[in-house]
Amino acid sequence: MTWRHTFKTSLTGLTTNRSRSSLTILGIVIGITAIMLVVSLGAGAQNLILGEVQGLGTNTIAIIPGQVSTNPSSNASALFSDSLKPKDVTALENKANVPGLESLMPVVIGADVASYGPNTYQVTIFGGTNLIADIFNLVPSEGLFFDQSDVDSYLSVVVIGGDVAKYLFDNQDPLNQNIKIKGRNFRIVAVLPKSGGGSLFNFDSMVIMPYTTAMTYVTGQKYYNRIVTQAVSDAAVPVTASYIKLTLEESHNITDPTKDDFTIETQQTLANTLGTITSALTWFLVAVASIALFVGGVGIMNIMLVSVTERTREIGLRKALGAKDRDILTQFLLEAVLLTVIGGVIGIVLGAGLAFLTAFALSHFLALNWQFVFPWSGVILGLSVSTVIGLVFGGYPASQASKKSPIEALRFE
Amino acid sequence: MANIIEVKDLKKVYHDGGATATVALNGVTFNVRKGEFLAIMGPSGSGKSTLLHLLGLLDEPTSGVYHFDGKDVSSYSGNELAKIRNEKLGFVFQAFNLLPRTTVLENVKLPLYYSSVPEHEWEKRARKAVEDVGLGQRMHHKQAELSGGEKQRVAIARALVNDPEIIFADEPTGNLDSKAGKNVMSIIQHLNEEHGKTIVLITHEATTADHAERIMKLMDGEIESDVKVKDRLTSEDEFIK
Repeated sequence: MTWRHTFKTSLTGLTTNRSRSSLTILGIVIGITAIMLVVSLGAGAQNLILGEVQGLGTNTIAIIPGQVSTNPSSNASALFSDSLKPKDVTALENKANVPGLESLMPVVIGADVASYGPNTYQVTIFGGTNLIADIFNLVPSEGLFFDQSDVDSYLSVVVIGGDVAKYLFDNQDPLNQNIKIKGRNFRIVAVLPKSGGGSLFNFDSMVIMPYTTAMTYVTGQKYYNRIVTQAVSDAAVPVTASYIKLTLEESHNITDPTKDDFTIETQQTLANTLGTITSALTWFLVAVASIALFVGGVGIMNIMLVSVTERTREIGLRKALGAKDRDILTQFLLEAVLLTVIGGVIGIVLGAGLAFLTAFALSHFLALNWQFVFPWSGVILGLSVSTVIGLVFGGYPASQASKKSPIEALRFE
Repeated sequence: MANIIEVKDLKKVYHDGGATATVALNGVTFNVRKGEFLAIMGPSGSGKSTLLHLLGLLDEPTSGVYHFDGKDVSSYSGNELAKIRNEKLGFVFQAFNLLPRTTVLENVKLPLYYSSVPEHEWEKRARKAVEDVGLGQRMHHKQAELSGGEKQRVAIARALVNDPEIIFADEPTGNLDSKAGKNVMSIIQHLNEEHGKTIVLITHEATTADHAERIMKLMDGEIESDVKVKDRLTSEDEFIK
């Protein structure tokens, strides 16, 4: 039997029982739709996160205390490491040590309670320099950011986030007012607009002040939680990173690079780490969604077995007229594969459509910079998986059909 | 004329899973000449259907020898048997066994799908077979739109489309009224007399068997009688047993 006619025969077999065929493929449709949706949304989330990371400036190099390696969960312990000291900053600022370094910002991070009059609010203390405004494109809604001379003179000035302003001042103007942290007054020189929840980096509940001030009057620590630097250009990032590494190893008297008590993170390594997390999440969800596919496959097998029994007479007739076992096998196998592939195609269209609608909703109603990503990998995965499911779950019923003796089949009522 | 079918001591025993065995055919021996019209008669349970299935290569005997066209069929593989069924045998069933929701022409084409006949000849051959049974006007009608007699004529056209040497008919008039039955039988007789097709037909109706030139009666799996009732050349009844 030619392929064209096997195809035609199988298609006829499916269309004569249209409503059952459509119900059968529902499981496959749902499974493939879920996979497409997850893959597309995963890629969208990845793009969103990487976009934010890259928005920070691709020439940024962060130095984190302790060994972070590529495992992001150890970041917490890095906060308690005290390996980054003021002498490191002095060493790094020496152009002879790190020629490609353009700017540098020591960072201290803490948590404390800020108060204004009777109002109190739990805030995150961020001690840095005005470089933070450059890196994160922070533009105050009123006032001006503190500058390097304020940092050098340990001035008690702060820039507050939108939530801090809202909860401490209600409708009053916070500018030039003093808030109390650890019993000390800090003058508000600028207020940041509320950024909302859609951003990876949220300054809404932060109080930003010079790191010198923060170390002396708030956290009391003698070390930095981060040192953020910028290379003169993107191209200079790798070589600058390696100079930073050598300088710090010398400053810390480390001879074995595997024993480094700090980690250097460039935009690239950060992007890689975040990319790994999101794709791991995506594939985990794909694995969950494939359970639906498996169930759909069992459904196909079930219906194909019923169909084989129902069509016993037809099988017998075909065999009496000269069909070989293989002809019957191919006919029923092709029916199963057609079912799953049709289900797969519908699922791909449906999944892509839903992903598009989700992307549209996220970008319009939540104001996220969310791009619809057409999941090509989902298409390839969906098509190949549905074909394999057709072959696997259609194989048993098809072989049952092909083994029927023509006479048993013709006698069947 | 040469024998197309030579059967010697053919037995078929069915086992119902347990110890009980049903003997459907208890050793039958006979020959069928090429071009002969044989009617096999007998009450239900006499083994006539079993015999037809064995002769039609749809089933395998428990013991005995069956030579079809001079060759022992037990030497054939499953695929070779399928090929013989396709090219040399034609089947007409009591229940017609047409594919539902399929046109007359497509039903008749069915054996061609499994044949080595080149595809460009399929349409021509199928149309000719449909016209030969007088259904040229019904070419694109579906099974449900046909009368019983018309359905059986479609089944005959389907049996003819590969130009077989022998046609096996299993109670072809069993589901038809007498007028349609007569019409179907005259077509079968015409195939035998004008086209030289060998016909093996089973029936329990004497009027249907009257079209045959030889009538074999089965009883309890054995041949009760085997009579040549007419001779096309001599028109004389003759006992060959």
